[in-house]
Order: sequence, then C-alpha cells, then structure tokens
Amino acid sequence: MNCRFGLALASLLLSSWPLAANAADTIKIGFPIPLSGPVAVYGQPVLKGAQLAVSQINANGGVLGRKLELLVRDSKANADEAVRVSRELIIKDGVDFLVGTVTSAEAPAVSTVAKENKIVFLAPVAESTILTDPQHIHPYIFRTNSNTDVEGLASATEIARWKDVKTVATIGPDYAYGRDLIAAVVANLKKLRPDIQIVDQQWPKLGEPDFTSFITAQMSKKPDAVECAVFAGDFITFAKEAAPLGYFKMIDNRMVDSGGVGTIEEVKALGNDYPYGIVANTEDPVIWTSGNEPPEHAKYIAALRQFTHEQYPPSWAVQGYLTVSALADGIRKAGSTNSDAVSKALIGMTFDTPIGKRTFNVKFHETFQPEFYGTMVKEAAYPFAVMKDPELLPQSYTPTN
Amino acid sequence: MTVAASTPMLRRHALAATALRDRILSGGVPWTLVIFLLMATVPWLGSRYDTFLASQITIDALFAVSLNLLLGTTGLVSFGHVAYFGVGAYVCGILMKTYGVPFSLAFPASGLGAALFALVSGYFCVRLIKLYFAMLTLAFSQIIWAIAYKWNAVTGGDQGLPEIPYPHLDWMSSIPGCADLSIGARFYLLTLVLVAVSLAIVHHIIRSPFGRVLTTIRDNPERAAFLGINVRLYQLASFVIAGGFAGLAGALYGIFSRGVFADYVFWSKSAEILIMTILGGAGYFWGPPVGAAALVWLNQVITDYTQYWSFVLGAILLVLLFGFPGGIVGGLDMLWQRLKRLRNA
Repeated sequence: MNCRFGLALASLLLSSWPLAANAADTIKIGFPIPLSGPVAVYGQPVLKGAQLAVSQINANGGVLGRKLELLVRDSKANADEAVRVSRELIIKDGVDFLVGTVTSAEAPAVSTVAKENKIVFLAPVAESTILTDPQHIHPYIFRTNSNTDVEGLASATEIARWKDVKTVATIGPDYAYGRDLIAAVVANLKKLRPDIQIVDQQWPKLGEPDFTSFITAQMSKKPDAVECAVFAGDFITFAKEAAPLGYFKMIDNRMVDSGGVGTIEEVKALGNDYPYGIVANTEDPVIWTSGNEPPEHAKYIAALRQFTHEQYPPSWAVQGYLTVSALADGIRKAGSTNSDAVSKALIGMTFDTPIGKRTFNVKFHETFQPEFYGTMVKEAAYPFAVMKDPELLPQSYTPTN
Repeated sequence: MTVAASTPMLRRHALAATALRDRILSGGVPWTLVIFLLMATVPWLGSRYDTFLASQITIDALFAVSLNLLLGTTGLVSFGHVAYFGVGAYVCGILMKTYGVPFSLAFPASGLGAALFALVSGYFCVRLIKLYFAMLTLAFSQIIWAIAYKWNAVTGGDQGLPEIPYPHLDWMSSIPGCADLSIGARFYLLTLVLVAVSLAIVHHIIRSPFGRVLTTIRDNPERAAFLGINVRLYQLASFVIAGGFAGLAGALYGIFSRGVFADYVFWSKSAEILIMTILGGAGYFWGPPVGAAALVWLNQVITDYTQYWSFVLGAILLVLLFGFPGGIVGGLDMLWQRLKRLRNA
C-alpha cells in the first residue's frame, strides 16, 4: 500500500525532470523580481524597463552576436522565495547572469546565491548599504541604484539650503531602510549645518494604517523643517492625514522626502492630494518642465512611452533599463559571457544611461547613483504634481571606510 | 474550513490511519527506510535541480510532520507553528554565522531552543481550546516575527542573516561515491539522514503508549480527563515535541536557503504548512510529506509559467481539497480500498 506514496514521490520528482536542454544560443538573464503583493508597484516598472532595454539591444543585433533573453520569475518580495527562484534559474535554466530583486532582504539573500554559484548579479533597486559593504562584497555583486548613505547626503544638502531653519524633525518607517536613511541624513546635517537641532524623531511602522498620533506628536515640537523617509502607499496615507491637521502649513512645506515620492507612480496615485511645495526625489522625473531635458533621456522616454502605451511612463523603469544596458556593456567589454570575465569588465567600467554617465566603483561595485531632487509643484499642463527644475544630488560623493 | 468542522473529519481519518498502521506493522516493511533509500539516490540519478527540489521537500516534510503531531495526532489546530521553525532557524543561523559554532552543536541547540520556546508559549496555549488555542498560537508566532523583524543587532531585522555557512562536510569525501558530490548535494544527504531519523522518532512517538494517549485526547478530551489523564500536560508535551522538531526543520532550512529572514516567521508560512498537511492528508503519517512534495512541486511548476501563480495554485488546491477531503493520501487510500473490494467481490 504505502509504496504508492513512494511512487507518488518518485513520480513527482520525475515529472520535474528538466526538459531537453535548450540549445538556442541566447544570453540568458535570470530576472527574479516582485510581481505580486504591495512591492509589485516597484517590480512591474523595473521589469518593463529591462524588457525595453532587451528589445532595443536585440533589435541592434544583440551582444557578441547573440540575443539577450530575460527569464522572469516572481520573487514575491520574499527573501527565501527570491533565493529559491534564483537557484532554480541558475541550476535548471542555466542563466548566465542575474538581474533583479527589490527589497533590502531579497538583494543580500540573492547575492549569497550569486557568490556561491559564481554568477554576476546586478541589483537595480535595493539601497541597503550591507549589500556591498566590505563584509559582504564579492566579485559577482553589483548595484546600480543609490544607497542610503548617498541619499542621506543629498537630502541633508537640500535641508541645509534653508538658511533660516534651526530645528528639524524626522519621520521614517521603523525598519532597516528607514533607520539607515534617517541616520545618514542626521549625520550629514550635523556636518553641513552644526547649528541645526534635531527636535523630534518619529518611527511609524512600515504599512502603518494611521499616522495621526505621529503627526500630532511631531507638530507639538514645532520643527522648522522635516526630513521624511515615508514612501509609496504609506506616504499616500500620511499625506492625506497630515494636510487637514495643518502639518504642511506649519512647516511651510519645508519637507524633504527621500523615499522616492517624486516618481510618476507616486504623483499619479496622490493626484491633487499631493502636498505641493515639498522637496521630493526620484531616480527619473520622466517629465522635465524646465526644458533642459538631456536628449538621451527624451529619446528613452519616447521609446518607453511606445513600449508601455502610457502617456507618462513609470519612473522606476529606468533602473531596469540602465541595469540591463550596463550588463550588456560589460559582456561586450569582456568579450565573453563568463561571469569572472564580465565581473572584471564591470569593475571600474563607465556606462551611458538616459540620465548621464555612471561608473562602478572599484572597491564597492556600485555607482553611488545620484538622484533627482526638486520642489513638487502644480502645473496646469499636468493632472498631477511635477518636479520643478530637477537637480542631480549629491553632486559628488566619496565613500567612507 | 472551521476548526470545529474539522474534528469529525480528523476522527474518521484517524480510524483509517490506525487500520493502515496495523497493515504496515503486519507487513513489517520499514517504509521510512525504503523512502529514505529511494530519495538518497537523487544526487546520483537526478540533476542538480532535482537535488535542490528534493532538499526542499525533505525539510518541508519534517516541518509538516511536526505540525501533524499537533493536528492529526493530538487534535490541536495551530496557526503559529512557524514560530518554532523560525526560532530553530535563527538559533542555528546566529550560532553558526555570528559565533562560529559547529553544526553538530548548533543543530541540536536549535531543536532545544524551539522546544523551550514551545514550552513557554504552550504553557499558555493549552489552557485554551479550539479557535482560542489557534488564535493564541498565532499571537505567539507574531511576537516572534516582530522580534525577528525589529531586533536588528541580533537577527539582522528585515534584512535577515544572509550567508549562513554550510556545515563542514569534507569528511564525506572518504565515503565511496561521495567524493564528486557538490556541497549542496552533500548537505542534502545530511538533511535526508537527519530528517529520516527525526521522522522515525516521531513515528515511534505516535505508536507509543504516549502517542495513544494523545489520540485519545484528540478523539474525546472530556473522556480522557475522566479516565484520569492530565489532558493539558499531554497536550503541552505534544506541543513541545512538535515545536522541537519544527525547530530542527528550521535549522536545516536556514542553511539550505543560505540565510535566515524574517519572512520565515510570518504567519503566511504557517498557513502554507497547514495547507501541505491537509493537502497530503492529516490523518496519515505520510500525508504531510506527500503534501509537502505536492505543494513544493506545484509552486515551482506554476511560478515558472505564469506570474498569476496565486490564482492557478488556489484553483488547483480548491479542486484537490474538494475532490480528496482526506487529502491526497486519503484519496489514494480510498481508491485502494475500492479496488480491493472489487477484487474480492
């Protein structure tokens, strides 16, 4: 009787046997990315950008005469699922490289897999510094996004520009990203403006359904300006609750939000509830109101618009786009798809992106990518807030340790 | 399915399970050993990917069997079993990564740590019954999750603890045929041995007089109390044993997944393991392992082909649970009984 269970087990194993190995000579890029759950709002646009880059590169003859192929898997924004699909992509599908992940738990987890399997892995979104710090760096990990130290310097620079501000309060989600970012802002602010005092720090949890008590507690300290790290869906809740309480009026809209609420995704979601006048940041403002848009950016947005069929395509797509482009450049430079060769090629490599040139730092394997900062304003031509005079910050960054 | 509705169903399956057990005993075939030997051939006969899948199934099988000690044997529905899995994973991960403790010490320590936490939380949980018991187990698991998520200095917070080292398995090179195996395959063999021993122990516990008392409590706690059995104490003992084995599964999973993360202790993982157990058949010892194999395989196949995996998986589970109310093993058992009756007629 019980042998049936054994048979059932065996047949399950047998049916998962890999189908005949695919001999097509594409260069395979495994793409584990969150496509379900709340983090999918980042995963979906990053995937779109990557797909656009792949289709453009393939239309131009591919890389080393071979076409690129994306193998996309839903990482469910969950570290162990990201590890599972990444290992599956490597050992079953035989991918040559990995690009992907969003959260600060997924990226270091997949980095371990990349290191053990000697496969180059580029993280397009995660900002946690532990991904590439001296303790965790290895030849196969690369990051194209900013990190919390870089964002900290940029945000502190913006706050320091308000000369009459003497007291600053902070509010950020109570988990690694929020804590690291706020700590970096405070540290940089102390250097840039020793006269500024931090008068209040609020730590709502990620996914907080009601910010009222945090808002009123902060208002009672009467800060001149606020550093905010609340982002995405949480920022929508926060902004809608803070406005009627007179929060933004009290600080005269002098808030810097470093959580990327200057993205098209965020401004679309908030519509006219957007707290106009605050300073926000984004990897790509998409819309340039001032007319000094870089020509390569205009070209990229036109292609993305056609690809996504959206009049205002998502900001996050640029991270998928430039990461795949960087990998393609690395493969070309190495002249091979061998991960050791590509890793050597990527270290110190400068590559073009729609938003300027970037270089992978030799020691940290990341570009310390600056982001666009600017005041969010209402303009008649757009149904949502737009960034006025987007400026890349920080202008320069030197890594410590 | 409500907790109350599941009890008569479990009872029915328990009867079938007892009959099955007797059949096995009379046959005298050590099924744990047979399945173990079959599974042990995977690194040689299968691909690297098969070894990878088999590792996951093996570990989930132990986790699900430990849950079934509560669900199928003692009649306690726990919604927070993942807490003990998580405690085991963190204890083993922290000991091995942060303190460099060898696996031979960290592995038993993770079982003990999980059992200890099960003793503390179980002390309160067994004071409640049915849905209230289930809710309290869920509450304890959320406490563990909150600790794992917030205590940055020790657990790494939401970034977790990546890069848990593999145990030293160089000694396996001296075993004939094992010299060429990768570290992943070696760890799979170690996992298989440890899980097989654990399953044999759990099987032995269920068959022991102690296990029979647990079954009695499941079927009729009032009557068991009337017979002079200290129901709470037995339930607590079952809770602690189940927690300990879940901790062992967690320790193995942390190393297998190359890291320990707060996701491991989130309540949705408890639901996943509950589904495995019920899908395979809570009334059978081999039900949870079959459920684990089925769910791991389904998840893998479906996520490969569609990003709408949750819809497809949900639909398949719905059909399976409606079609085989006794789980996959229950369905196979029913089919077998029918065939036998046909042959005898």
